[in-house]
Amino acid sequence: MLGRLVGLRLLGVVPQLALVSALVFALTYLVPGSPAAVLLGSRATPEGIAALEARLGLDRPVWVQFQDWVSGVARGDLGTSWYGGREVTDVIGQHLLPTVCLIVGGTIVAVTLGLSAGVLAALRQGGIVDRVVGVITAAGIAVPSFWLGLLLLSLFAVQLGWLPVLSWTPPDRDLGAWARGLVLPSLAAGAAGAAIIARHSRSAMLEALEAPYVQTLRAIGTPRRTIVLRYAIKNAMTPILTVVAFQVSTLIAASFVIEQVFTMPGIGSELINAVARKDIPVVQGITLVVALAVIVIYLVADIGYAIVNPRARPQ
Amino acid sequence: MKRVVLQLLRRPATATAAGFVLAIGVIAVLAPALAPYDPLTQDYARTLEGPSADHLLGTDYLGRDVLSRLVFGARVAAQASLQTVSIALLIGVPLGLIAGYRSGWWDRVMMRLLDVADAIPGLVLAFAVIAVLGTGLTNAMIAVSIIFSMNFMRLSRALALGERERLYVDAARTSGLTQRNILLRQILPNMAAPLIVQSTIFMGTALLIEAALSFLGLGLETGSASWGGMLSGSTRWQFQQPFLPWPPGLAITLTVLAFNVLGDGVRDVLAGGTRDRTPRRRPRVRARRAAAQPSLAQLPDDDVPLDVRGLSVAFPGEDGDVEVVSEVSIRVRRGEALGLVGESGSGKTMTGRAVLGILPAGGAVTAGSIHVDGAQIVGRDEAALNDVRGSRVAMVFQDPMVALSPVHTIGRQVGQAVRNHAPTLSRADVRRRCVELLEMVRIADPEARLGDYPHQFSGGMAQRIVIALALASNPSVLIADEPTTALDVTTQQEILDMLTDLKQRLGTAIVLITHDLGVVADACDRAAVMYAGQVVEEAAVDDLFAAPRHPYTRALLAAMPTGAGGDDRLPTIPGRVPPMTALAPGCRFAPRCAVRTDACDAAPVELGAGVRCLHAGAAWQAGDAAHERRSQVQ
Repeated sequence: MLGRLVGLRLLGVVPQLALVSALVFALTYLVPGSPAAVLLGSRATPEGIAALEARLGLDRPVWVQFQDWVSGVARGDLGTSWYGGREVTDVIGQHLLPTVCLIVGGTIVAVTLGLSAGVLAALRQGGIVDRVVGVITAAGIAVPSFWLGLLLLSLFAVQLGWLPVLSWTPPDRDLGAWARGLVLPSLAAGAAGAAIIARHSRSAMLEALEAPYVQTLRAIGTPRRTIVLRYAIKNAMTPILTVVAFQVSTLIAASFVIEQVFTMPGIGSELINAVARKDIPVVQGITLVVALAVIVIYLVADIGYAIVNPRARPQ
Repeated sequence: MKRVVLQLLRRPATATAAGFVLAIGVIAVLAPALAPYDPLTQDYARTLEGPSADHLLGTDYLGRDVLSRLVFGARVAAQASLQTVSIALLIGVPLGLIAGYRSGWWDRVMMRLLDVADAIPGLVLAFAVIAVLGTGLTNAMIAVSIIFSMNFMRLSRALALGERERLYVDAARTSGLTQRNILLRQILPNMAAPLIVQSTIFMGTALLIEAALSFLGLGLETGSASWGGMLSGSTRWQFQQPFLPWPPGLAITLTVLAFNVLGDGVRDVLAGGTRDRTPRRRPRVRARRAAAQPSLAQLPDDDVPLDVRGLSVAFPGEDGDVEVVSEVSIRVRRGEALGLVGESGSGKTMTGRAVLGILPAGGAVTAGSIHVDGAQIVGRDEAALNDVRGSRVAMVFQDPMVALSPVHTIGRQVGQAVRNHAPTLSRADVRRRCVELLEMVRIADPEARLGDYPHQFSGGMAQRIVIALALASNPSVLIADEPTTALDVTTQQEILDMLTDLKQRLGTAIVLITHDLGVVADACDRAAVMYAGQVVEEAAVDDLFAAPRHPYTRALLAAMPTGAGGDDRLPTIPGRVPPMTALAPGCRFAPRCAVRTDACDAAPVELGAGVRCLHAGAAWQAGDAAHERRSQVQ
């Protein structure tokens, strides 16, 4: 039954992927003027531009380039950088691990902190915990994540010395250092998501606790603990899952910024360099990989949704 | 509109946020007059200074005055957030409106676009746009506008779809308004509120994205004074001058916070939202009056599992407590069904819920006693109440389709009911008992259906399951609150027959809460009629129908559709149930009563010999007439 759902969803993903890759491909042609002219800048001469266009393959008809690109993508070839000629897949591959670690860390922070704070606030509605959570989440949504990262860095790493200033250690070199280094970046990346998840899980939980079936459960003498842990939380999960999926997809972009704060050698710095110097193939490749990741996240969320909510299963 | 603004200002947080946003706007407009220095003038003699008398917020790494830059930064902030949101509105709303209103291939194209937008996080899209167009605030803000416009498109599409369904648009269409007119005059005004809320929140988000892009060096040129640029510039120097990031950091955080609080406030006010405010105060428990205190001689006997005496329930209101149940006394014997009859708001449901100690938040029993199987319920704590609920008294609710958790199987929920009072039962025994219970309420193929979810059952079947839940631990008392109201007529009869059967077989005492005298006639032995929180008449069902003594009971009977239809229209009781805050000083039914005299208003009327009326005798006479009419019908 879940297989059927996955199948159905994958069918829907195909046109989405096709459109995304078409849009990503089109990036090259949205650059005002010729990309080659932009690359050469003030040194551009008509001959130079023509030569560069020929070298980059930009002189071929658009549809040939598109075919080329699509078949490349299908084979896992995302082209080569306009600077230094590195393979885009290599650029991504070499920098993937820190970024993935940060995204996973941020997700753990966002989901665990967000869920528990939201549920706790709902259970103590109107009480001190609820108010404190309310204030913290409001601030957490409003504070720029990179500033929060810098504040965490200067407090816990520089002044208190509890955690390393240098955030990235490859896990195969020193597992402990790797884990300690990830704590602050994960907190900074996950904070905003935690705040938003907390708000949504609070209201989802309040709604679940006010639902008529809770009255039924109370009327047969079910202890409040059981009602909350077994019934209300599972019911609240349905709306929460959607928010979590969206937050995780936002976290991917947020992690690119946080990498800069903690000088982590992830995809973010490559992307930002590429953006600044208009290295379109690298931007295209990373954008496509991010889009793929987001699509997978929503797919997983949909499967989770169907597991939690029997009404969302295909009949 | 004025009302909305006033309501907004009455909320302290919203008013503060609105004031803050307004202040930022004023600062942005008056920046040149307010700033003590030129924001770009450098002073290499005084770099990275802390706050001082000439530089209230200190200086940055080029010796520029931080306060002046902050003041001018308000301009960039105001401009950036207004520009992005208005461009996004201009692009997104028309597209969404067209997609939602026209549907068809327009809509499909837009939805595919949204699919793509969904797959690319906002900031990554911004990166791509900047890669194509080059760095700078305008390009960055174009990118942000695109992201926001997608969101506005989705929002206005959904709103247009919703509005389209409404009747008035159809009416407008038939009355010959052009499509453009319909879009502009009818749909757009109704969308204003949600769009305002979203725009407010996006203004804050725009600031955050601008800050992030500046931090990455992809936003403003480094020299100019934007808060994001100041914050990112200062972070490089924060170890030399730790104070430096604070002014721009706080400016961004507080402004975004203000936008969010304002947006939330507008949403709450427009939604009529006082939803989150729970009354913390509980109603004061009255000194229990002598009449309400059961004397030892009257203590309940085995044959009367439910004995309620002088029960009053109150909720905290704007001006003191509001009593919704006043001195209600009911007794139900084993194997007896008592109908608790009244219009909505008569206090019948609250009486039922008080028996289980599951009053809604804020509600409390203020007087009286409730004995179930001889044990006092009033004043017990949750743990003690949980021992009683389900095992001695249980309750069935109105709408079976929402009375069960939609995401748990039937087996899980019936099993919960079984385990609550038999925690040591083995898994197999619980299952066996579940099957037994489903068989008892006549669910076909119970073994197989344990794994099903509530939505796989019809309303009538779901109500049977709720009844199975309630009876899982053989309670002596079952309170059924309008158990058939949400069901269709044939199913109603099945449920009532089942309740009657269970009552006879298991000896359960049933309280059947209903507004429908037909249900009472069908399934009850006795009935208590409630009006405005009081029992106004109690009698055996046959007597009640044959000779109603209270004018209200008579009116209810007269309003009952008899099926034979001698009259052209259904008689109704004139007037309506009074709000519990504005009760008549004397008899509560007096304002609607046909036989009211001055004496009725003089003082509260006590319940005497089963009826709460000064004219019970006179009512007898009229009741005979009603009885005759009814007998003729039958």
